[in-house]
Amino acid sequence: MKKNDLKSMGKSFTKYILIIGALLILLDFTFQRHEYFSFVEIYGFPAFFGFVSFVFIVMLGKWLRKFLMRKEDYYDQ
Amino acid sequence: MISNFIPGLIMIITSFLLPTIPQYFRHPAMLLSVGLSALSLFNGYGTFLEWDILGLNLILYQSDSLTLPFAIIFHIAAILVIIFSWHSKNLMEHMATLAYAGSAIGALHAGDFFSLFIWWEATALTSVFIVFAGNTNAAKDAAMRYLIIQVSSGVLLLIGACLMLYQTGNHNLVVLDLKTNFGIFIFIAFGIKAAFPLLNGWLQDSYPESSVTGTVALSAFTTKLAIYALARTFPGTDSLIWIGAIMTAFPVFFAVIENDLRRVLSFSLNNQLGFMVVGIGIGTELSLNGTVAHAFVHIIYKALLFMSMGAVLYRAGTTKASELGGLYKYMPFTTIFCIIGAMSISAFPMFSGFVAKSLIMSSLGGMGMVLIYFILFFASAGVLEHSGIKIPYFAFFAHERKNKVKEAPINMLIAMGIAAFLCIAIGVFPKYLYQILPYTVEYQPYTLDHVISQLQLLVFAIIAFLFLVKFKLYPSEIRSTVLNSDWFYRKMLPGIGKPLFKKIGILTDSLYKNLGLSFKQVLSKSYKFSNLSYIKVTTPSFAGTILISILFIMLVIVLV
Repeated sequence: MKKNDLKSMGKSFTKYILIIGALLILLDFTFQRHEYFSFVEIYGFPAFFGFVSFVFIVMLGKWLRKFLMRKEDYYDQ
Repeated sequence: MISNFIPGLIMIITSFLLPTIPQYFRHPAMLLSVGLSALSLFNGYGTFLEWDILGLNLILYQSDSLTLPFAIIFHIAAILVIIFSWHSKNLMEHMATLAYAGSAIGALHAGDFFSLFIWWEATALTSVFIVFAGNTNAAKDAAMRYLIIQVSSGVLLLIGACLMLYQTGNHNLVVLDLKTNFGIFIFIAFGIKAAFPLLNGWLQDSYPESSVTGTVALSAFTTKLAIYALARTFPGTDSLIWIGAIMTAFPVFFAVIENDLRRVLSFSLNNQLGFMVVGIGIGTELSLNGTVAHAFVHIIYKALLFMSMGAVLYRAGTTKASELGGLYKYMPFTTIFCIIGAMSISAFPMFSGFVAKSLIMSSLGGMGMVLIYFILFFASAGVLEHSGIKIPYFAFFAHERKNKVKEAPINMLIAMGIAAFLCIAIGVFPKYLYQILPYTVEYQPYTLDHVISQLQLLVFAIIAFLFLVKFKLYPSEIRSTVLNSDWFYRKMLPGIGKPLFKKIGILTDSLYKNLGLSFKQVLSKSYKFSNLSYIKVTTPSFAGTILISILFIMLVIVLV
């Protein structure tokens, strides 16, 4: 096995995901989605919401480490 | 005769007989017992067994359209667990698992709160041995905490049932509300097992401490039994909508920073229960169908994810993200099965999570509950983060691995393969799932609008992940403990209680010392006093003993 297996896998995965993402946004322009709430129907809203939510979750989680993270043997002390 | 036999009971009986069965025949016997129990699925709806005792009419076996889907999936889960643990020779764990699954199935068919209480406690008492089978000091401690919490839930249920019987004269499983005191007791009892916010600590505390196979069994039954009980007794209870929404959102942040991947899955389990609880809170036919469908598919994909992490633990010896990575080369089948589980829980179209979660989201949309809708939409991105990406990424990819490990044993692969197959089959052919739901609702999950918006959400969340990794913003895994609501009884209460009891101890010590002298004097006097012939204590004769016994029995009879 080559050492850069994971790297090349990561690269091609990124490439395909970006292509799929672009296609999904383009598809959104071809027809009007019907949703329960009107602002979800805005072009690319779910994509934007997904991206922002994900970043928010990770960043807030990272910040919460300050308050919630203890040593591994915390309860044994 | 078989039609009157409580489903699950045959599994409990078999579990007691397991020690007498040779090792090689134990798993076939377990499967056979599940098969025999599953015959009850064909009995149809109705009340099949009642028992009049102490003036109470206990409904031991009843079945209806809400019971059936849970009963089907509990039997499937039991089969998956048995196959997954085929390699194991741990007799205690096998007995506990079979009896636990049997108790959970029995509980589904209880028609009154007292029968439910018996099964409720039976699931607690049997499952604690599964946690215990983790066989580490941490597992043993967690098992004791687990037992206390689970039994407390049962006690609250019993108090609620007694109050209900006393106040209304009824103890059957009927729809309750939170305006009555017994309703509140029962609600909290169910809430503990359903891992409501702040009552959830036991779940993340105990499940990851269990054995390779034990966690799979644990993940399937207890919490979903609570969901069933809530759906039966509290549908349409408004507060459940908010409780559920909080359950979907909060565990997400804990899962991001947790290092133990089985604990990440336990947080994820909590988050999934939130979706189901919201469905119960809405209380419409569509939303209750959504809850049941979600519980059904969730048991399969959650078991699949726990099985994949169980396989990793079995082969690599740990599920800590900080120690793992690169296993895709050595465990390719486990990797694929894990990814299928991850895609199902993330609700990718054509996977089972999609067709179930859609029902709940649609019912929310239909009711115009915009805020809750967005919390759940947000939580969906969270599910993708911790279960869709974090689990497979850190276990199987992340970085190259130096030490070789073997692929999972064949029985594990078979169990994972069946679960993976079901995840895809239900996703592709949802109508078979919809057919067994409690209410007849025409629903089409695969509309172009819905598929596109869901794919946009998920794909761009993945792009966000790639972005964070690329710019080194994604938090690296650190060996650590993440505080959870179990902190209150593991640290805070002992922190207050221990010094307090120490002070009380010092006080009572000095009190005894001061009183010691006077006690001695009293004792010496009483000794002299007791030696006086006319008050000397004598043991009763044989006839006297008989007489006292008869009087005692009469007293008991009169009291009863």
